Amino acid sequence: MRKRVIAALLTAALTAGVLTGCGEPKKRVNEDGESVITIWSPSDEPAIEEWWVEKIEAFNQAHEGTIELRREAIVRADSYAYEDKVNAAITSNDLPDILYVDGPNVSIYAANEVTLPLDDFFSEEEWSDFFDSSKQQNTYNGHIYAVGATESSVALYYNKDLLDAAGIDVPDSKEDAWTWSEYYDAAKKLTRDGVVGTNIIMDKGEGLSYVLGQFWISNGTDFVNQEGSSAEGYLNSQEGVEAAEFLNSLIRDGYANIDPIQKEFHNGKAATMLGGSWEVATLEKDYPDLNWGVTYFPVADENGILTSPTGDWAASVTKNVQDMDAVKEVMRFLFSEENVTTYAQAISKPPTRVSSYDVLTEYNEYPRSVFKEQLMETGHPRPRTPSYSVLTAEFAEAMLNIFTGVDPKEALDAAAAAMDKDYNKYYAKD
Amino acid sequence: MKKSINKISERRAAYIFILPAVVLLAAFLIYPSLQTVRYAFTDYNIMRPDRIVFCGLNNFTELLKDEDFWIAVKNTLYFTVLVVPFQTVLALALALLISSRRKGVSIFRAAYFSPQVTSMVVVAILWTVMYNSSPDSGLLNALLVKLGLEPCGFLNDPKTAMNSIIFMSAWQGAGYQMMIFLAGLQGISREQYEAASIDGAGKIQSFFYVTLPGLKSVIQYVVMITVIQAMKLFTQPYVMTKGGPQNSTRTLVYYIYEQGFQKRNFGYACAVAAVFFVIVISLSLGMKKIIKAE
Repeated sequence: MRKRVIAALLTAALTAGVLTGCGEPKKRVNEDGESVITIWSPSDEPAIEEWWVEKIEAFNQAHEGTIELRREAIVRADSYAYEDKVNAAITSNDLPDILYVDGPNVSIYAANEVTLPLDDFFSEEEWSDFFDSSKQQNTYNGHIYAVGATESSVALYYNKDLLDAAGIDVPDSKEDAWTWSEYYDAAKKLTRDGVVGTNIIMDKGEGLSYVLGQFWISNGTDFVNQEGSSAEGYLNSQEGVEAAEFLNSLIRDGYANIDPIQKEFHNGKAATMLGGSWEVATLEKDYPDLNWGVTYFPVADENGILTSPTGDWAASVTKNVQDMDAVKEVMRFLFSEENVTTYAQAISKPPTRVSSYDVLTEYNEYPRSVFKEQLMETGHPRPRTPSYSVLTAEFAEAMLNIFTGVDPKEALDAAAAAMDKDYNKYYAKD
Repeated sequence: MKKSINKISERRAAYIFILPAVVLLAAFLIYPSLQTVRYAFTDYNIMRPDRIVFCGLNNFTELLKDEDFWIAVKNTLYFTVLVVPFQTVLALALALLISSRRKGVSIFRAAYFSPQVTSMVVVAILWTVMYNSSPDSGLLNALLVKLGLEPCGFLNDPKTAMNSIIFMSAWQGAGYQMMIFLAGLQGISREQYEAASIDGAGKIQSFFYVTLPGLKSVIQYVVMITVIQAMKLFTQPYVMTKGGPQNSTRTLVYYIYEQGFQKRNFGYACAVAAVFFVIVISLSLGMKKIIKAE
């Protein structure tokens, strides 16, 4: 008797679980019959949060009776919290209509058919107003899968007072950008009295691939092959090992910290830093006393390729979309000339639309002009491969291992093998 | 006759009382566990829930050859073997310190307990800052240098990273066990101590012959829950080291997270989780047996 009751209870509970897990997706319509379009994007600084509130209100007023736009701000943290949430939504088939994804993840979602191609969302002419760097990052298999409003770039910030004291001049054109040896010598000279020579983004996460990957490109290789199917012979090539050895020399010789304090450069504890374009606004606003400048991303010693990181979050449309026309309407609104401009202004990042620069004239002037120039002429996005999440995690781990004493070739071999294994397991057959 | 009707309705009431717990357990524990076992035999990639293919024992054979997995097993056991005695002894020492009824003891009691009510993430971030390898920014290294010693790599040195985590985990966790010990200490009657002192026992003797035997069941309980908690170590490596450097702090649960969510190998992660479950269950059953045998 008792056993039977327990068995019945368990069965009931299991059925309930199964039913709630695999029910029909909910209709995305509100009580007023308006199509509800939901956006997920990372929560951001107040200026951007205000931008969202204002724009959503404007959109909803203009589309009363047809579309209701909603946005959920999701905490990103500096690790994988945002992606964890997206992964969960993929499993439960409960993705928002519009999903903001970080640039290199565009290919992952596209390859897995989580997101849809957006080629027809804008006309040929409209697309041509968007930066190539941004379109390149957001393209997979010949189709555009995401649209971004802003770009990012990284250049070498320097503390003018410390460089003057050490008698070091910085290059003022990208053709004269510091070579690795010049960069190393400067860092060496600048390391003294509790100040390190430089700061190479050490967030133990995505920042490593984003910034340090450029050293591979500059030395004539990359993380993966053109097709994005293999890292063997690229990530762990001779050129790649040289790049890793160079970066390691900065850490090993004490000219850069393996775990720098927050805002090391801003607080005068590092004489230079490889810093993002977004730092300009932070430095101007919060560190008015720091006498700083910015110069071009360092380049490999012999025949080094001029390069700089690019890539930013972009909006994609997921497979769970129900009202495609409404989504197109929203996307055309979010990435209109005007909204790209105001968004870029609020978030203090370079816009992706060429026409926005007619309004945001500050990008024609130093220091922002350095970033604009890099974006238009030397930018390289992170590798486009469906195995990117494995690649970037393995790369970060390999670099930390190298910085704590593992042989660079050995560490990079392991990372390349892990990436190739993932590609062959899931994507080689597609 | 009347008696038996009462018994039936009593039984029915009992089932109704356990119903909510059973339903919740079934929905959030039993059902997911069964699913985990099922997925362990598939190549489930979290990006492709619509393309799950059964792959037999592949995940398990791969597991046996997976060096990172065995390192994670080793790290988890290392952590458990060291943290359990350390934390238990520390908790008992703290409990003895504050069990006296002197004035001001409650301040210390609150102080020792306070890390426990702070979120582990917060504690981990604070300790990451304290453990910073540069004497200019890390509190502990600044102290070492002041004392004329060499600075230590702490979390950046594969030799010291796990020990650093063990130390801060014991510091954070000891407060809770201290409270349990405190309750246990109060359960030992004064007369036993009096009798011991009449027989000429000193402080140390009465600790070994009165206090410890009196706390036996409490100690067993504390060790048991600490072992299970220690096996589940995740937050500290997640926040402080990301499993590095050189795999030195990659634990089983962190490895499951890394494989399942970061690298999206969900099927494989489920296989690791299944093995992990077996390890934990056999450990706790084994411990129960040992305790019973005594």
